[in-house]
Amino acid sequence: MEIIKKIVQLEHKRWIIGSSLIALFLLLPIIFLFSNIFEIEQTAFVYLWKNLLLDYSFNTFYLIAITSFFALLFGIFPAWYVSNYKFKFRVFFDIALFLPLAIPTYIMAFTYSDLLSYTGPFQSFLRNNYPDLSDIFNKDYLQIEILGIILGLALYPYVYTASRVSFSLIGSTYINMSKNLGLSSTKLFFKVIIPLSKPAIFSGLFLVIMEVLNEYGAVKYFGVNTYTTGIFRAWFSMGNENTAIQLACLLIFIVFTILFLEKLSHKKSKFYYSANSKIEKLSTPTADKYLYIYSLCSLPFILGFLIPFFYILNNSILNIKNIDFSRLIDLSLNSIQVSTISTVLIIVTALLFLYVEKISKLKFNTFISQVTSLGYVIPGAVIGLGVILLFTKIPLLNSYSLVGSFYVLIYAYVFRFLAVGKSPIKSSLEKQPESYDETAKTLGLGPFKILQRIHFPINRLALITAFIVTFVDLLKELPITLILRPFNFDTLATQTYEFAIEEMMLESSSYSLAIILIGSVMLVFLKYVINKQINAS
Amino acid sequence: MKRVIIFISSILILSSCVETTKESNEINLYSQRHYKVDEKQYETFEKETGIKVNVVKANADELIERLKNEGDNSPADLFITVDAGKLQKAKDLDLLQKISSPIINQNVDIDLKDVNGYWIPITYRARIIVYSKDRVDVGELSTYANLTDKKWKNKVLVRSSSNAYNQALLSSIVANRGEEAATNWASELVKNFARDPKGNDRDQVKAITAGQGDLAIVNSYYIGLLLSSENDEEIKAGNSVGVFFPNQGEEESGSHINVSGIGLAKNAPNKENAIKLMEFLTSESAQKTYTNTSYEYPANPNVEPNEIIKKWGSFKKDILDLNQLGVFRNKAIEIFDKSGWK
Repeated sequence: MEIIKKIVQLEHKRWIIGSSLIALFLLLPIIFLFSNIFEIEQTAFVYLWKNLLLDYSFNTFYLIAITSFFALLFGIFPAWYVSNYKFKFRVFFDIALFLPLAIPTYIMAFTYSDLLSYTGPFQSFLRNNYPDLSDIFNKDYLQIEILGIILGLALYPYVYTASRVSFSLIGSTYINMSKNLGLSSTKLFFKVIIPLSKPAIFSGLFLVIMEVLNEYGAVKYFGVNTYTTGIFRAWFSMGNENTAIQLACLLIFIVFTILFLEKLSHKKSKFYYSANSKIEKLSTPTADKYLYIYSLCSLPFILGFLIPFFYILNNSILNIKNIDFSRLIDLSLNSIQVSTISTVLIIVTALLFLYVEKISKLKFNTFISQVTSLGYVIPGAVIGLGVILLFTKIPLLNSYSLVGSFYVLIYAYVFRFLAVGKSPIKSSLEKQPESYDETAKTLGLGPFKILQRIHFPINRLALITAFIVTFVDLLKELPITLILRPFNFDTLATQTYEFAIEEMMLESSSYSLAIILIGSVMLVFLKYVINKQINAS
Repeated sequence: MKRVIIFISSILILSSCVETTKESNEINLYSQRHYKVDEKQYETFEKETGIKVNVVKANADELIERLKNEGDNSPADLFITVDAGKLQKAKDLDLLQKISSPIINQNVDIDLKDVNGYWIPITYRARIIVYSKDRVDVGELSTYANLTDKKWKNKVLVRSSSNAYNQALLSSIVANRGEEAATNWASELVKNFARDPKGNDRDQVKAITAGQGDLAIVNSYYIGLLLSSENDEEIKAGNSVGVFFPNQGEEESGSHINVSGIGLAKNAPNKENAIKLMEFLTSESAQKTYTNTSYEYPANPNVEPNEIIKKWGSFKKDILDLNQLGVFRNKAIEIFDKSGWK
């Protein structure tokens, strides 16, 4: 009774209850999945421990380490140069460095392994022209280290964007002061800029790590067994749900540990920087610096976008007589339609959770908001199966054959990608001072009006950012679409994948090209939005 | 208000793209096959009969989960796989029903049929050994078991044990020679690996051409695909290896084969149409299309295999009851895990 009384007395109770119900609805598949397994089956655990866990753990962490290293290398330095120096093609690089996000990781991996393979263009060219050199490069390129570099190339833009925004917001006061104190520009970078930007860089890196933990297509092809491939193998090949769920729990535990460690380090060294101090005018680099700038800015772009893009473009041209253009257009429309609808729903839901978190100031709502982000760390296929279980096993829901309808597909997308849509909105909402809400309240505006008339316009750019980032991610989505899609429904991603796993790179190329082009257009637009954001603050 | 409008309008847009699946003159497939040849076959079938073919394509195990959970409400008529083991698994879970059609009975090879009558074969593939023509004397090859000989140390290439074709091969060894022999075989073979298992079957052939190993265990149709590639370098790679059918001796079991097959879903809403499609797919004309496009062996004995694969000659098939490939699947995966075959 006490609790009910408390709830009745709560301010904004309708909002709190409403958002909690939606959260519960979103979490149902996972709750259902985990409640199916009440006890940890000991034999399964012993088997896992004895035979596989060491290999899975080593591969997972090693791959995360390599990918993170390259993502940081390719992300941070160019972001610093672009934010701080004046050089030719600066604006071009600022956009170009963003583009690898448009290429799905599995396409990047398939493309590079095809390019580098014995029968691929690189080795064939050497054999035909420089036979002496060809022996040196005749290597097995399907190695975990190479995979780490490829994933680093595909994912570094997350780090780049986060650091770029942060670097631009660091006021000139710090930079000038450091220079007056006699710090060299290298020292300035490592001693002042990097520590100040640590939270931002980490938020980018966190997304990179999530993507690596979730990666399936590329890791499987490279023969690297991670927790995620283990989940697939245990569940699908052996029909052993128990082992699969134990591994999934382990994945979630790792993610929480990473988040916790970050919070801890954040607490120890809290920095404040005033974003209002004048933004540093771009400095002109010294002559020898140009070399670093151009090589470090062009390398990630060339390797991460230009080479795979032109390889795929070339394949499409070679295959042009076999391209079924009407199908290509159909699938593009399918992809765009389903991504757009889901993205809109994701943004609305994300905004709701974050707003309720803001106005209620209850720990409970913060918790709810965080738990709904869990979808991003659970492998897509596991979510897909949880959703199937939910809609077929629960009375009322199972009376309609909902599985195989767009509703269920989109429901699964929303749960999986909510975190992606949330992160830009969250950081933007946090920046708004409380006084806005207070003033609006005194002026007699209700919570919905405050959201509509104040937060919607103020956070418009963040909303657009969230929309595009989510849209591009959905465009590339594969495992959920494969398992939950309706009859005769293909997307660009599923078609690309079906050809690519049969190593029909020529046939898959036009579909991958469409993904990359649509994604790139959106990302270029996004870059424009972000730059506006940087200039506005 | 805005939120409500967005929500309602998105639901409306959504509804507009949901196709009505109420027509009765259609058939619903859950298929693991995603080759171009399948689309071709369904198009021809639609033209000939006017029956619309609807397809969902995904991994076999995921489709089984979907079938299992949908239960009586499942819209699926047919379940199509590239592994008899998965058909057996579906039957074991009570997801299939018996198929009776004299036409299909007549169309397919008796050795490939399901003894219980729950599924039918449409094509089959052999898991063969390919070898470097430059570095291996074909006289030294004999059986799968022989691959564990010390002379092949650091020479054998094969893909990951997560792959269903390898799981089926090991299941057949468990069925034919028992668990202990299979365990020994797997652990000894791992010692002869030229590198950690990775890539797909074609990658193993390329690795032979590149000199990273001398022998590989692959599926027959991949060699056909390499030899008919549009990339000259791939054709060269295909030509640099020889094809060898293992276990051909009189006392031996024959080369391991597996079928791509179809099961009739237990609650198939369009059963008649489903049987018509199976009759069509096993007919001579459709069987010719299969072998000539995807280089699989036809399940219909009246149809000659494609020229490229015919050149390798005929071979003795392992006529083990193919359901055993499913029965021993978990055992096989356990052996892989313990032997360190990644």
